[in-house]
Amino acid sequence: MRSYLAMAIAAAGLLVSAAPVWAHHAFAAEFDSSKPIKLEGTVTKMEWINPHAWIHIDVKNPDGTVTSWMVEGGSPNTLLRNGFTKASLPPGTEIVVDGYQSKDESNKMNGRDITFPDGRKLFVGSAGQGSPPPDGKSDK
Amino acid sequence: MRWRIFWRALAPPKKRNNMMLRKTALAACVLIALSGPNMRAQNLPRTADGQPDLQGIWSNATITPLERPADLAGKPTFTPEEAAAYEKQVAERSNVDHRSANAEADVASAYNQFWYDRGTKAVGTRRTSLIVDPPDGRIPALTPDAQKRVQDTRAWMQEHATDGPEGRSLGERCILWATAGPPMMPGPYNNNFQILQSHDRVVILNEMIHNARIIPLDGSPHVASNIRQWMGDSRGHWDGNTLVVDTTNFSDEYSFRGSDRNLHLTERFTRTSPDTLLYQFTVDDPTAFTKPWTAQIAVTRTKGPIFEYACHEGNYAMTDILAGARAAEKKAAK
Repeated sequence: MRSYLAMAIAAAGLLVSAAPVWAHHAFAAEFDSSKPIKLEGTVTKMEWINPHAWIHIDVKNPDGTVTSWMVEGGSPNTLLRNGFTKASLPPGTEIVVDGYQSKDESNKMNGRDITFPDGRKLFVGSAGQGSPPPDGKSDK
Repeated sequence: MRWRIFWRALAPPKKRNNMMLRKTALAACVLIALSGPNMRAQNLPRTADGQPDLQGIWSNATITPLERPADLAGKPTFTPEEAAAYEKQVAERSNVDHRSANAEADVASAYNQFWYDRGTKAVGTRRTSLIVDPPDGRIPALTPDAQKRVQDTRAWMQEHATDGPEGRSLGERCILWATAGPPMMPGPYNNNFQILQSHDRVVILNEMIHNARIIPLDGSPHVASNIRQWMGDSRGHWDGNTLVVDTTNFSDEYSFRGSDRNLHLTERFTRTSPDTLLYQFTVDDPTAFTKPWTAQIAVTRTKGPIFEYACHEGNYAMTDILAGARAAEKKAAK
């Protein structure tokens, strides 16, 4: 009989080679499909961290209090290659986030769709073109 | 001088006055003989100590799948027109930013296409799968033992998925990533690696999970068989202009498409032009696969830099997933 840890390790090893997953981790395990949520808030900061960037927003409640939320995005490397920079989403920007709340019911959600209040999409464009070709200069 | 002696011996005495003409003809023959692949290889960059120079930053981004899709069975390569149509079709399909009707599927699709960076091109060889052998472009069947192992571990995984981090995938734990290798495969983003060479070492830095593999070229043997590593133990040598890297000693905790600890991976790197590199790998694991299989990726040179991918720095997802499971248990107990 294999030990719990041995099985855990073998299973984890198996999953490293499972069918391609598009996000770094299983969003279905982190966020709750029965808790769709749509929030309008003001960006307080954006964390350019791996494996996924997180956008922090403050949401005004009807009673005037403010609740802070964290919104999960994708890889910051891809954002940068797609032309999105630190200046693209400065603190104070109003955004609308449409996604799902985390299963632990903390104030975290995935950024399934993020738009400006006038409906324009925040992350506009198609999937990345891949890394740019060399410009002729040495890259060693 | 040796040439002259050789030529005099060949030339009939009466025709020595034609010597210059014959010399010219011979030189032309030698030039023609060298103008094949050897000549082209000699024109490729070399390091100061004469090795083929593979250094630089390379991208293996491609939309070509590892295995040939069922609807392309029997069709190993595209025509240039078919490849262009395939690229267009994949771009259109992947750039549709829709909400899935099923909420469960919608959560799984995570975020929109803007966050992906897998390239837009089929591989330069125009093959319909990265697998070139077996000819059907599919991974050979697992052995009965390997099938059982895979089924058992999957079942265990489902049962213990949220017990603790040990039940999560190596990727979620930021230990390894399914495409970072070895072998190195294209994935959704970070499809870049950098090669550095010295006279007796090659270093491959992979952007995904920022693994750096240091590969000795000094003829030293693999580490002892009881030493097992996440990325195995790689040793390299030159086969003509091709860098061959053999990797064994994989950890029991690593599996590539169902492989086990007996995996012997052979990677071949050949610079085919200043801006292209042919990367080929063969998976040989007789206890896991019913026969060996080989894949090929035409890799292209890319502008850097390689970014750091400090995977665990913001891995809030791990705590979120486990905390979510604990919250559900509490709720169920009430």
